[in-house]
Amino acid sequence: MTATAIASETMTYREALRLALREELGRDERVFLMGEEVGVFDGAYKVSAGLLDEFGPDRIRDTPISEEGFVGAGVGAAMLGERPVVEIMTINFLLVAMDQVINHAAKIGAMFGGEVRCPLVIRTPNGAGNQLTAQHSQSFDGWFAGTPGLKVVAPATPADAKGLLKAAIRDDDPVLVIENLRVYTTKGEVPLDDEHVTPIGRANVAREGADLTIVSHGYATVRALAVADRLAEEDGVSIEVVDLRSLRPLDLETVARSVTKTSRVLCVEEGWPSYGVTAELCARIQRACFDDLDAPVERVGMAEVPLPYAKNLEHAALPNEDRVAAAVRATLDLAPAAA
Amino acid sequence: MPRLSDSMEEGTIVRWLVDDGAEVAHGAELAEIETDKATMTFEADAGGRLQRVAGEGDTLPVGDPIAYLLAEGEAAPDAAAAPADAADAPEAAPASAAPPTSTRVKASPLARRVARDLGVDLAGVGGSGPHGRVVRADVEAAAAAASDAAPAAGPSDGAARTDGARGAVEIVEPTGVQRTIARRMSESKATIPDFQVRTEADVTALLALRRELKQAGRGASVNDFVVKACGLALREHPRANGAFVDDRFQLHGRVNVGVAVAGEGTLIVPTIFDADAKPVTQIAAEARELAGKVRDGTIAPPELSGGTFTVSNLGMFGVTSFTAIVNPGQAAILAVGAAVERPAFGDDGQVAVRSLMDLSLSCDHRILYGADAAAFVGRVRELLEAPYALIA
Amino acid sequence: MGTSAPARQSLLSTGERRALYEEMVLSRVFETEAERQYKAARIGGYCHLSSGQEATTAGVVRAMTPGDLLVTGYRCHGFALARGVSPDAVMAELFGRSEGCAHGRGGSMHLLDVQRGFYGGWGIVAGQLPIATGLALALVRQGRSDAVVCELGDGAVNMGAWHESLNLAALWRLPVVFLVVNNGYGMGTAVERASAEPELHKRASAYDMPGERVDGDDVDAVIETTSRLLAAAREERQPAVLEALTYRYRGHSVADAGLAYRSKDEIAERQSRDPLVRIRAQLLDAGLGDDDLDAIDREADERVAAAVAFAEASAEPPVDRLAFGMHALGSGEQFARMRPGSPFGEHELTFDAGLGA
Repeated sequence: MTATAIASETMTYREALRLALREELGRDERVFLMGEEVGVFDGAYKVSAGLLDEFGPDRIRDTPISEEGFVGAGVGAAMLGERPVVEIMTINFLLVAMDQVINHAAKIGAMFGGEVRCPLVIRTPNGAGNQLTAQHSQSFDGWFAGTPGLKVVAPATPADAKGLLKAAIRDDDPVLVIENLRVYTTKGEVPLDDEHVTPIGRANVAREGADLTIVSHGYATVRALAVADRLAEEDGVSIEVVDLRSLRPLDLETVARSVTKTSRVLCVEEGWPSYGVTAELCARIQRACFDDLDAPVERVGMAEVPLPYAKNLEHAALPNEDRVAAAVRATLDLAPAAA
Repeated sequence: MPRLSDSMEEGTIVRWLVDDGAEVAHGAELAEIETDKATMTFEADAGGRLQRVAGEGDTLPVGDPIAYLLAEGEAAPDAAAAPADAADAPEAAPASAAPPTSTRVKASPLARRVARDLGVDLAGVGGSGPHGRVVRADVEAAAAAASDAAPAAGPSDGAARTDGARGAVEIVEPTGVQRTIARRMSESKATIPDFQVRTEADVTALLALRRELKQAGRGASVNDFVVKACGLALREHPRANGAFVDDRFQLHGRVNVGVAVAGEGTLIVPTIFDADAKPVTQIAAEARELAGKVRDGTIAPPELSGGTFTVSNLGMFGVTSFTAIVNPGQAAILAVGAAVERPAFGDDGQVAVRSLMDLSLSCDHRILYGADAAAFVGRVRELLEAPYALIA
Repeated sequence: MGTSAPARQSLLSTGERRALYEEMVLSRVFETEAERQYKAARIGGYCHLSSGQEATTAGVVRAMTPGDLLVTGYRCHGFALARGVSPDAVMAELFGRSEGCAHGRGGSMHLLDVQRGFYGGWGIVAGQLPIATGLALALVRQGRSDAVVCELGDGAVNMGAWHESLNLAALWRLPVVFLVVNNGYGMGTAVERASAEPELHKRASAYDMPGERVDGDDVDAVIETTSRLLAAAREERQPAVLEALTYRYRGHSVADAGLAYRSKDEIAERQSRDPLVRIRAQLLDAGLGDDDLDAIDREADERVAAAVAFAEASAEPPVDRLAFGMHALGSGEQFARMRPGSPFGEHELTFDAGLGA
């Protein structure tokens, strides 16, 4: 039997996004990218670097600072069969376009009785950790994922960044792709196959383990994997990490299968946990896995304050690895680590 | 089924002492009932004609009817009425002197499921999780302990047999007391983070004193001195006389030392109440009486309850050292070996033959820490090595 | 005042004007019946009527080609009817029935007919403006020579979306005409109390695009102006603002008596120059008889009565299709692991998106 060589390349998360955009722009004339500084400036976070030269100003369309306007323009174009990809510089700025996302894009399919669809993609990074302070460090993943009519994905690895963005562009519904500022620079193997599409609604067991499951998405998955390695070393515990990849639809089945195996679960997110993604997970896990839980479902997220500026305060407020590790130990009924 | 001990949840009719249908008077002995602690004689609390419900060998939960005492012309309630009576009975039962305890078992959903699957009664499983929550590991430990304990019990009538790789295997139903021992020992091992401290006491002087007393007609065993020494030391070390219950330190006002006594295929721990305040000779007299009751099965629940500490002595069997398992609800247990004559350095630096006795204290680390345990056991040794203080 | 001069040389033949009269009467009768049905509790939710605005509605749509696209706010019954949506489908939608144009999912504010280029009545003030801008962008990308008419009320011009959309449309030269239906009041707030520049068409100048004002009750003027602006949009990708001055006789919605912020005299004065009376007079001048026109009125009554009967006969949407249309075909697979059928499934809705409701 001969092994099938699958060409892949090590690249950063942002390069993987760019690869996905380039492939989809090349594959489908209806695809175009629109947003602030996506063209001449090469993208605020350089995701679209070089694409203007390759595809021209009609396909790589710079916009004024006008989120409500151009998100809505994306909605309208999508209703007429285009495949717009709208980049929002950070998820914080998506709030000024909330009316278009929640009241319009998310409603079209159901409110018009399935008569018209809205295949729109909105890409935007969330997250904190660079002392960007209260207005630029937020994660609203749960707000959007809690809205019927939207689909929300949040890749944690370069391979999934490519696969999920391509899946979002090919999807016939509005899809929000939540990226993360700190994940842009992480590197990983990315398949070069231009049909590498990660299915929406499928979680990934990013690390296998036996004692406890961490459920996370986006950058929280990066943290979870680091904590799992660390605690394997320090405490000899075996942690399984389920990377959700999609928030809506949610792959509860993969989560529940893992929790059934480990009996203990910690949910981690970058955003505020109250009424958030982890709140949703707790509700669903307790229902799906009630007879398999050996400890209460635990969660960790950003401290419930507007994120402060000072480095030490910011660190303390984030779901940093020490906080995640402490929650793991508590959920396993282990003594806290010595300070 | 009358509740005959503080921890009794079910009882077995060992023998009816009155024929079915016989007229009995108030106070008449009706039946022998085996509880989790002992076999008791149950006396009629009213007069009437006895109509049995339960047969010999039947095990019923506390509160279920075992018989009716009927007045002239009165008929027994029909079967349909019985469950209602049973349901009411536990509430109606006098609370006696038992301390109030929460009946709700805190257990994780998984622990509940595993308990169902393994047939483990959660009420008997101690929880190692936060706030005493029973988790899966506790249930599995209890199940493992139960399956280890079962074959160790002696053969009994009607035991089932199965053949396997280990040859003919006899399945023996443990008695209520044996079941209780299994449950409480598993609970201890599963829930109590225990450790041992060990020392040797030079009991040369103690043995001499004991001979003197015996000649004076005031017999006392070495163990009676140990009980007295423990009583005094416990008064000085409240943690050792306490318990870790529901995340709190429970410190007991009385010093009641349980003395483990081997019975026929069983183990009973009668209590010497206020061991700190009683003279050794009184302790000796009480211990003798209690041991006699254990042997002939007449010991009553009050005599088996209320211990705040336990002494287990296997010296009479020639055992020189061993460790014991902490009794749940107590902080520690002292395992006492046989006094052995060995060459030892005396205070003057000269080697002499001395009688040395091994003392091994098993402790619940949640309440009794290493240094405290060392201080306590050191104090016991000190008292045993200067035994005149014990009879002062 | 900046109103365009009425087109003295009418572009309309008598037959075309007669057809317009039919449309306008149908709209008026339909709205009157909708109010009656609303008060009989057979229509729910909000219900915004356009009685009095028929010349603007019919005139603007008259100026559109079949390939042009229409987007409106929530006062959309008249636009739907003018664009050719069957009164049956509109009334059934108001009744919340399967055979409504949005299969009972949209109601009064969310009529649409994609086949007729009507991309929806929208319920959030000014929310439809960015969408119309995007539709125009798509027309350009697709190389089509059609244009978009985006209707909005006078209250919408103070929203951020208005400015953002006009700017984008002008910046990108998109074929869209923003039709401001200025009926004098945004709910109960008079235009002068809401807009610092009450001549709303002037705001177009900030975006370097034409802005015109027309007497919205003069159907000839509406058609002429709209045709001109739409032609520029189609041919030169020139966006524009068209402000049509008109009046609504009823309150903001059926729930509003419409008298707290204006007088009965004011309403009576406006009704005295009712656009329907005006066009009827023109048709009489052109030689049609009262009998002929009365017959049109009767036909409208009958047509609307038939629409009510149709709506009554139409089935309620089945409850087991609650999530109908929400997601595209194939989404069921994506949601499979959070719905029944999954061994760990929640009691989620199903997401079949077939076209039948």
